[in-house]
Amino acid sequence: MKKTKVLMLGWEFPPIINGGLGVACLGLSKALSKHVELTLILPKSDPNIALKQVDIIGLNQQERIRIREDFQTDFYAELENVYTLPANIAPYQTIAEPVTETKQVKKSKTKKVTRSEFYKPFQIDHLYGDDTIQKVIEYASVSADMCMEWDFDVIHCHDWMTMLAGVEIKQRTGKPLVLHIHSLEYDRNQGNSNNWVYQVEKHAMEMADAILPVSNYTGNIAVQHYGINPRKIHSVHNGVEKITSYKVEKPFPEKIVLFIGRVTHQKGPEYFIEVASKVLKEYPLARFVVAGTGDKLKELIETGAHKHLGLNIHFTGFLSKEKIHDLLAMADVYCMPSVSEPFGLSALEAAQFGVPCVVSKQSGVSEVLIGALKVDFWDVDKMAHYILMLLKDPAFAKTISDNAHFDLEHCTWEHAAVEIQEVYNELLA
Amino acid sequence: MRSVTLCFQVHQPFRIKPYTFFDIGKNHFYEDEGHNQLVVDRVADNCYLPTNKILLQQIKKHKGLFRVAFSISGITVEQFKLYRPDVIDSFIELAKTDCVEFLAETYNHSLSSIFSKKSFIEQVDAQRKLIRATFGYQTEVFRNTELIHNNEIAATVKELGLKGMITEGIPKLLGSMSTNKVYSPAHTSFPVILRNCILSDDLAFRFSDKNWKGYPLTVEKYASWIKRSLKKNENATIYVDYETFGEHQKKNSGIFTFLRKLPGVLIDDYGLEFMNPSEVIDTMEIHDVYDAHETISWADVEKDLSAWYLNSMQKEAIEKIYSLEPLIRKMQIRKHTDKWNKLQTSDHFYYMSTKGMSDGEVHSYFSPFNSPHDAYIHYMNVVADFELEIRKKKLFK
Repeated sequence: MKKTKVLMLGWEFPPIINGGLGVACLGLSKALSKHVELTLILPKSDPNIALKQVDIIGLNQQERIRIREDFQTDFYAELENVYTLPANIAPYQTIAEPVTETKQVKKSKTKKVTRSEFYKPFQIDHLYGDDTIQKVIEYASVSADMCMEWDFDVIHCHDWMTMLAGVEIKQRTGKPLVLHIHSLEYDRNQGNSNNWVYQVEKHAMEMADAILPVSNYTGNIAVQHYGINPRKIHSVHNGVEKITSYKVEKPFPEKIVLFIGRVTHQKGPEYFIEVASKVLKEYPLARFVVAGTGDKLKELIETGAHKHLGLNIHFTGFLSKEKIHDLLAMADVYCMPSVSEPFGLSALEAAQFGVPCVVSKQSGVSEVLIGALKVDFWDVDKMAHYILMLLKDPAFAKTISDNAHFDLEHCTWEHAAVEIQEVYNELLA
Repeated sequence: MRSVTLCFQVHQPFRIKPYTFFDIGKNHFYEDEGHNQLVVDRVADNCYLPTNKILLQQIKKHKGLFRVAFSISGITVEQFKLYRPDVIDSFIELAKTDCVEFLAETYNHSLSSIFSKKSFIEQVDAQRKLIRATFGYQTEVFRNTELIHNNEIAATVKELGLKGMITEGIPKLLGSMSTNKVYSPAHTSFPVILRNCILSDDLAFRFSDKNWKGYPLTVEKYASWIKRSLKKNENATIYVDYETFGEHQKKNSGIFTFLRKLPGVLIDDYGLEFMNPSEVIDTMEIHDVYDAHETISWADVEKDLSAWYLNSMQKEAIEKIYSLEPLIRKMQIRKHTDKWNKLQTSDHFYYMSTKGMSDGEVHSYFSPFNSPHDAYIHYMNVVADFELEIRKKKLFK
């Protein structure tokens, strides 16, 4: 049988990553390339990165791009009238910075763009920043032009940054559009999600032929908060790269309860502090570690101090992958109190290290870690209760981590690739 | 008779290094040696040595009429000995003139006067011994960390057998009384000299401020202000960070020329006398009661404890370090007591201040950390390790 030709549009890709998106994109590309012919367009790629059987095209490395004179970026301006948007969009924000300033969206749609201007966004270092939207739009026009004469069967996009490009290419070519949803504006920006990015997501999901959210949880959000037809939605859980786990002996007697992730409202760090306070009252020989940074960090540090937990709550700031692994190698409990988590890869990493997990029910990973302890993110009493059980009862903790090992066997990118191929086949049949 | 007292605070903390969670239980050395040495080196060359030289010249030139006083914290002397013994030598030279007074204070520049009376008494004793051993000077007059003061502290200092103390002259407490007289705390009779904050801040903060209406400050202008502020039988106490000379106010501001000219102009042109704090206490009567029923200090706009003890991080850090006191006392291991004392240094808590405006700028000017939150995180990690260390020792016993 002839292999399906997939045009994949990505944004983050290792080593240029901000969060889980790039990691997932790599894992998926590797696994998919065994089944399909894959061409991947990225705004920025590292020249040293090459994948077997994947044609990676980094716009930052293109010498010449043919640009159609009649290109018009009409469609994004015709979205519902939303005039303000955050000027500094960092959807996978890792550094604490206030995102308050807003800016008018330029509605002038037929602005002549010179060739040199097209290249500019792709020569700079950051994938996000003040001009994220500008980059997203130019990525759309450049990649749409590039692929006009290419031969492909299906378009596969990752998250909102590449959706405009996907819609444009579908409109020009009529090829089926698949949207892979790693995260939605609704998760990132709850209560205030009716902005430009939300509009882009809604528009693109309406235009798409198939939508692949990373969990049923995220699929439900697309249905409930974006009004998307559930029949288009096929959730595909993330896989996880196999890590050789190891153990590190702690230089102190206290047990470690771990939070890993951006310190933002979405990840529920304030619930972690509340739980810490409850657990420490009953079990003082514990250290709660917050690994990550974000706009809530300062507030969180002050709350910990206010609750007199200064000697038992530790903040590490942003950590490298190696340091995260060192932490997991010491940890006794992993706690993920996310308010809204499309997937939650770090829980799988914790499970690989044999760390028993307590995860929020409002997460995708709770659908695959069948044996993990699950609580509603707001139910701090229950969360504290579970953590206490794990700390006090090593046999119970072992059961939970053994369960997770069993669950992990199904969490592979190969598994995900097979499911995705089925969706392609349906669309092309 | 109208007189002037010049006092200089000489202080450098043992700053702690960025101490992460991964250091806890492994790394028991907390000081940022490299940074501390760098600062002492820089300030020695910019300030301590050149300023000492000017003072020595002026003392010799005026044959006993020009006099100055220093308060040097114990940990500063320790750092001079470690990194710049030449600074110690130059203070010894000054001490030999008999025109220089050294003041008593807490060894660790700590807040122990507020949080542990027992520790306070020990630290004052330790600093006095160190000053005597290093400079051959028996201290008689006390000044607390950053002039922190209340009636109770004054009573404690009196119990220690000191003959008087210096604190901040706060307009709110003074009312219509003059800042240039000697007072007593409420409930007990004990001489208290007040710092003239206006004349002091003219030098420490405003000297090179081009937006200040007094700019540029000439010696003659300053001398006339001093003279004007003094009535008969009054003494103006000018008390500033010693680092004002050449470090906070840079050399090119003209601060050294100013200092060189100051004694001559005050003595010869304005007929003012220089007196050291112990002489002020010997010659001036207690005028009235200076009732500090709440704690005051010379820090920030508020002039209270809020520079060190205001936000939740500062309160938590202070609470935790003093909560170790019973354990430290029980164990009586010199090494641990030393570390505990050093962790009490007020600067650690000063760096954690989240005040905004100009006070915030001053806090961050001094801080080795990027933010108050970083200062807190690293400090608490250190205390967590320290607690582990002493707890281990306790289990072992």
